[in-house]
Amino acid sequence: MRLLVTLALLLPALVLAEDQAGDDIRLTVKPVLCITDNRNPSCDMSFLVVWQSDNTGYYCLFNDFIDAPARCWSEERAGRLSDDRIVTESFSYWMTSSDPDSRLAEVTVEVLRMDSDDRRRRRRTRHVWDIN
Amino acid sequence: MIRRLTQLALLLLALDATLCQAEEESQEVTESRWRLGAAFGYGVRTNPLVQSDDIPIIVDVDIAWFGDHWFFDNGDLGLTFADSDALTASLVGRVNSDRVFFGNSDSRFVVFDLAGTALAEAVEFEVPDRDYAIELGVEMLTDGPWGALQLSAFHDVSGTHEGFELYADYSYGWRDQRLYIEPSIGASYKSADLNNYYWGVTDDEANVVVPPYEAGAGLNWHARLMVGYQLSRHWGLSLVTEYDRINDEAAASPIVKERDVLGYFAGVAYRF
Repeated sequence: MRLLVTLALLLPALVLAEDQAGDDIRLTVKPVLCITDNRNPSCDMSFLVVWQSDNTGYYCLFNDFIDAPARCWSEERAGRLSDDRIVTESFSYWMTSSDPDSRLAEVTVEVLRMDSDDRRRRRRTRHVWDIN
Repeated sequence: MIRRLTQLALLLLALDATLCQAEEESQEVTESRWRLGAAFGYGVRTNPLVQSDDIPIIVDVDIAWFGDHWFFDNGDLGLTFADSDALTASLVGRVNSDRVFFGNSDSRFVVFDLAGTALAEAVEFEVPDRDYAIELGVEMLTDGPWGALQLSAFHDVSGTHEGFELYADYSYGWRDQRLYIEPSIGASYKSADLNNYYWGVTDDEANVVVPPYEAGAGLNWHARLMVGYQLSRHWGLSLVTEYDRINDEAAASPIVKERDVLGYFAGVAYRF
């Protein structure tokens, strides 16, 4: 009996903890890959950032370029932002609630450099096949 | 031989690491010295030899290491002795590529000779075997907005064919984000000794099926188109087609049935 009472008292606390931890946000960014080479050392891209949450609330979108949020939404459970940027290095977008130090979801845009300064990496070998 | 090459490669890696340790310590290494990858798919390279099978390509493994001076690139060993904004020049040791066709020939009983004349009785015939040759040479690489050029000159140092080869390849690549297209064309001059060793037929090898043949020097041509599409940081799609036109002297050999060597490969590639 005592055990049941204890569980009954703890249950609301457990549910509350799950809600707080389960502030489930889905964040998608397109595109997530930027490819550069010697002729095109940067990417001039328009990133579409879309987020959706199970819960209505206050949410902010951040990125690595500035400390301030790129945009905040109040009493919303979904949002989107189009972000035009010229990028040369990998960076991230992330969502927070009212606590800016707590990242609820994060997506990294990767910058992949395909060329090398070392010419030898582009040499053609005379194998049966060579698809480098 | 493969074991020796591997041992030599490891020795070179250790030597290069020792020589360049001080230099490396003062530099920030931003690019891995290794290039490791594998492609999985399907492809074929036709075999110009009579009575031989085409060469299937299912997996292509890419293993390369580039030190400040030494490098190992899928079986080629190199020592770079000049490197500037305009040119990179290296001393390179490699295994000759002509031998690869001779590994896919069959032994068959034939009732016609290679000229199509009927024989009195069935005779067992097999394309004469050829050895791998170790070649040493100089390779020069240069590039710019106009494209990339690779020039090389190799000579046999293993006493196999005792000939030489001069090679040139020009390529130009276009990239539109994930999509990359690179056509290339080139030529390869093969000396009489090299050509005759691989494509000639000696008196000892000649019989009722195949007459003796001596090949002179000749010029091979090749063209290639590579299309790549990067799916993610590590994965990509690759499509490659290649055409090789064997020189007149080799093509006239009785053991050659096709002077055009065609190849293609399509698959997914993973790069570490």
